Amino acid sequence: MRYVEEFRDPELGRALAARILSLVEPGRRRKLMEVCGGHTHVIYRYAIDELLPDEVEMVHGPGCPVCVIPMGRVDDGIAIAAREEVVLACFGDMMRVPGSERSLQEAKAAGADVRVVYSPLDALRIARAEPEREVVFFAIGFETTAPSTALTLKRARAEGLTNFSCFCNHVLIEPPLRALLSSPDLEIDGFVGPGHVATIVGARAFDFVAAEYRRPLVVSGFEPLDVLQSVEMAMLQLAEGRCEVENQYGRVVAPDGNPAALAAMAEVFEPRETFEWRGLGEIERSALRLSGAYADLDAERRFELPGARVADPVECQCGEVLKGAIKPWECRVFGTACTPERAIGTCMVSPEGACAAYYNYGRLSRQEQPA
Amino acid sequence: MSAGPHADPSGDVCITCGDRALPLRVVAPGAEPGLARCADPEGREEEVEVALLAPVAVGERLLVHAGTAIARLGEER
Repeated sequence: MRYVEEFRDPELGRALAARILSLVEPGRRRKLMEVCGGHTHVIYRYAIDELLPDEVEMVHGPGCPVCVIPMGRVDDGIAIAAREEVVLACFGDMMRVPGSERSLQEAKAAGADVRVVYSPLDALRIARAEPEREVVFFAIGFETTAPSTALTLKRARAEGLTNFSCFCNHVLIEPPLRALLSSPDLEIDGFVGPGHVATIVGARAFDFVAAEYRRPLVVSGFEPLDVLQSVEMAMLQLAEGRCEVENQYGRVVAPDGNPAALAAMAEVFEPRETFEWRGLGEIERSALRLSGAYADLDAERRFELPGARVADPVECQCGEVLKGAIKPWECRVFGTACTPERAIGTCMVSPEGACAAYYNYGRLSRQEQPA
Repeated sequence: MSAGPHADPSGDVCITCGDRALPLRVVAPGAEPGLARCADPEGREEEVEVALLAPVAVGERLLVHAGTAIARLGEER
């Protein structure tokens, strides 16, 4: 595993941290947002934040698909799962996300047929193997995951499977970034961009961040040294007064992404007029539903859903965490009423959620720091 | 749980986002069109959707996310 070890070499990490320190202007604090929950996880797992100088603060963005799903959609998924004839297949992380009354895990304990799958294709395999059951795939994820769902739906269509459908909750990265960047109280100086979303959409898809909002963005890989190097590249841009989209993850990410994936998405999905994001509210054209050509495989048309909009619990501050307005440990229920075992908010559910990452890797030392 | 051999055993990271993308090597054609058998460095195999990168050749390294290969990887240095 030489390849991986090179990206985790502590000496190289310290050298990068020293370079970042050399780029800091004394007394000038820089806030960089890591958009993707995968990066949040890497930052706390490898204590990258502790390598950074005090003047560089990492702010966690809205790029964890589990964390941004609103309660009403969880309730809809549970309503589908409660039907006698249905097998609801979902990724493991969805199981503990709280709905207004219960989670999918609790629905399963109460008798619903909810099964964890690793891929949409696994859900399709259940439909093939159990033709007497209605199999519904609870699709979540950004552009990284949406092509996988699209290919599975194309496969279901080609096979003429009638007992398979998709409850689509795929979301897009650009609209929430624009929503954040348009916020008048935004205090973000630059971005560490989501490397695997960029694998699909391409590094150029982020050009608007630099061109329209005048913030540097560095598309980053997921090894610790990738993230450190991306921070260094963003800090160098700030020090030199540049504002560009750079691609640190060029070994994987092409400027135009994966055209076949984009074509599959365009065939199977279409944008929703609006979609609710936890903490960010309704954002126009920020999510996908099945296109007209695939309407018969759309679980929202096949089953009647409550479709209710459910307000977050008042004590939950996930919205402020997702916008980077507060740190996880500043939330009034962090680590007390809200823990990974019994989460109130979504940010504590997924291991990529900012709160769970703090709770699992850094809670004790960081809670004592001043806000 | 019907998770494949590369589902994260520790539950430590989330499979819905990027950091669960895995480098796997193509070892044989799959049982259906558009699929290929791929293996990790320890030899654990799974069937992967490769339509986005087709055609893929035995021996190529792919980045796999949620059962789908989303990018080609270069050779290990």
